[in-house]
Amino acid sequence: MLLLAVSCSNGSDSGNGASVKAHTDATSLGQPDEPIAGPQGATPQFLVECQYSHAGSDDPIVFPGQPGQSHLHAFFGNTSVDAFTTIDSLAAGGTTCDQPLDKAAYWAPALLRGPEVLTPIKSTAYYRPGQGVEPSTVQPFPAGLVMVGGNSGATGEQPLSIVAWSCGAGIERAVRPPECTEARNLRLLVTFPDCWDGVNLDSPDHHGHVAYSSQGRCPQGYPVPVVQMQFSVEYPVWGPTDGLVLASGGLTTGHADFMNGWDQEKLASEVRLCLHREVVCGVASGRASG
Amino acid sequence: MKRSIVAAATAVALLLAACGDESSDSTTTSAAEAETTVTAESMPPETTTAPETTEAAAGGTLAVPGDFDTIQAAVDAAVPGDLILIAPGTYREAVNVETDNLTIRGVDRNEVVLDGNFELDNGVRILGASGVTVENMTAMNYTRNGFFWTGVDGYRGSYLTAYRTGDYGVYSFDSINGQLDHIYAAGSPDAGVYVGECFPCNAVLSDIVSEHNGLGYSGTNSGGNLLIINSVFRNNRAGIVPNSGSYELCYPQRATTIVGNLVYSNNQPDTPAIDVALLAMGNGILSAGGVLNTIERNMVFDHDKSGIGLVPFLEEDPNDSVPTEEEWTTTCEESKMERPVDPGGAILWDSQQNRVIGNVLENNRVADLLLASAGADVSTLGNCFSGNTLATTAPNNLETLAPCDATGSGDWKDGEYDIIAWLAEVHPPSVDWQTSTLPALQPQENMPDAGTAPAHPAVDVPMTVDLDAITVPAKPA
Repeated sequence: MLLLAVSCSNGSDSGNGASVKAHTDATSLGQPDEPIAGPQGATPQFLVECQYSHAGSDDPIVFPGQPGQSHLHAFFGNTSVDAFTTIDSLAAGGTTCDQPLDKAAYWAPALLRGPEVLTPIKSTAYYRPGQGVEPSTVQPFPAGLVMVGGNSGATGEQPLSIVAWSCGAGIERAVRPPECTEARNLRLLVTFPDCWDGVNLDSPDHHGHVAYSSQGRCPQGYPVPVVQMQFSVEYPVWGPTDGLVLASGGLTTGHADFMNGWDQEKLASEVRLCLHREVVCGVASGRASG
Repeated sequence: MKRSIVAAATAVALLLAACGDESSDSTTTSAAEAETTVTAESMPPETTTAPETTEAAAGGTLAVPGDFDTIQAAVDAAVPGDLILIAPGTYREAVNVETDNLTIRGVDRNEVVLDGNFELDNGVRILGASGVTVENMTAMNYTRNGFFWTGVDGYRGSYLTAYRTGDYGVYSFDSINGQLDHIYAAGSPDAGVYVGECFPCNAVLSDIVSEHNGLGYSGTNSGGNLLIINSVFRNNRAGIVPNSGSYELCYPQRATTIVGNLVYSNNQPDTPAIDVALLAMGNGILSAGGVLNTIERNMVFDHDKSGIGLVPFLEEDPNDSVPTEEEWTTTCEESKMERPVDPGGAILWDSQQNRVIGNVLENNRVADLLLASAGADVSTLGNCFSGNTLATTAPNNLETLAPCDATGSGDWKDGEYDIIAWLAEVHPPSVDWQTSTLPALQPQENMPDAGTAPAHPAVDVPMTVDLDAITVPAKPA
């Protein structure tokens, strides 16, 4: 709970560069016991692949109604997202996801090489029980939930279990982008909290209403285990990492944001059918579209 | 791995109960879903144990639309042993099945059509429900799969047509003891028919026609009494392509028996295709890093690359190290409990100890038989070739170099093949699966007595096969 004692009053001070606005220096309580990595197939899951939608200096969670106030973000999923987006407005948008009933908004800071914005290829959202959490207890995200995974204002390395970089779909996890071999695209992986306080759909620092489980248990004050979403952004980047920088500053400020725009009945159905029944409803890696 | 720390889970469950009222909004479900939940919860906790056959035979018949407006409503109301009998019509549904030992049957394979309309994900998806048969119907235009079994013990798909689907036509994953027969599958970017992540699979695939897919058949990390027999794979990018890879569990791909199939003209340039299908293009039967497979008495002709190829699968972003030969007996269930080991770089899956015997091969333009590695000495991989009718091999004289159950001789360097060159090749690009040109859907054979045959859940699968009785199929007229 100590980590929650973060003031939000200076949340827009970045300290990471004159032109960069960070969200806050907050994180959600705890962290996964270890990075999520390894072959798919041992853990129940369902997943959604969403093509890149658009970019904008908007952040409807941190800077609602304030267009242009955020660092540059890359948006996936819901096609209508801007600074004025609300949970209710998501339903009117389209989606870039391969699951038409997922109109969630997913976004991450833009990745740049010098002044050049590196347009991502796509994202993959993996939905699983948290590590060690009894699958049958996992609940869908409540309608209206918003979350931030990772710390946009981090001044040092973040836990690999929350924010990591990798090459392609491999097992490697690194705190900074590794040099990937040709055609193995660089990926940013952000693991979201999997415990909810059961009451609040958001919180002043956008982290305090959710937390991470450990040893299969949610911490005190966060009694509801929810599905754990790992968000992967794939960039057309390989080879030297010289000059790479996140729009949120440096390379260790990796984070991602989520607004639950799922068709709630479909989300609940997938949680029940795939996670409660402990089956794999889809796999992504290694079989990309040609 | 699935059920760790029981005490912790109990504690979480108690906490959940304590906050049940507060979180009730988040768990509100429709009436239909609530009904399904009741059904699921009323089942025994271990649903992978197949009930006795006698129980399965005692079921009633639920008619759609006679008794229920939708297939899903009938499935949700059914109990183990029931027959859901579907009348002709177009059903815009994505059916999920959670109840063991159901038989879900169309009265007419060609006139009972599940249509996803490019919006719904799976035609019929069976999730951890064992012994479920789906037969005598068509699924088309689904964004993911036509028919999909996952995490089951006992499955049968018979007289099924899958047409224009976003991932696979007929798909079995992490499932054992199964049978897929009398299948027609066309228009998938991945595979028309796929069996993945099982060892031992204990399954039979028979009487399949798979065409105009990225791959006719794909099986990643599957094998162990897995038979692919008496089927036709034609006009795909590539025909039958089992492969190993650490992106999913239960590697390596192994011990699949491919006998009596007609495999031809798998060079089709205008199909939807995933990367692997592009890479494999122009091959009839291609083991990509598979081991201990038997490829026997198939008719294989008209391929730009190989008729039968044993090649490596290069995995540049692996999730584990390559298992040693001693680990090839590890079952799929055992492998789920093992922790992966970061190999620190790319890994190479070589095709090893495969037997290629008595096939008839014609007009495969790189070679009728092809054996290659990407660094290993192919003479050490233990593959063998005997009794095939052929014109060309790479390396040359492959049946002399590596005969089955005999000592080989000759020069392995003579006509050795540079497989690495495949990686740089450019192929006709994938075509959108929603709009790709497909053969018009022809009427397909119906199951016998669909309207009157009793329920037949998948409790007696796979069927017994007399492999020795299978002969090389004739070329089509």
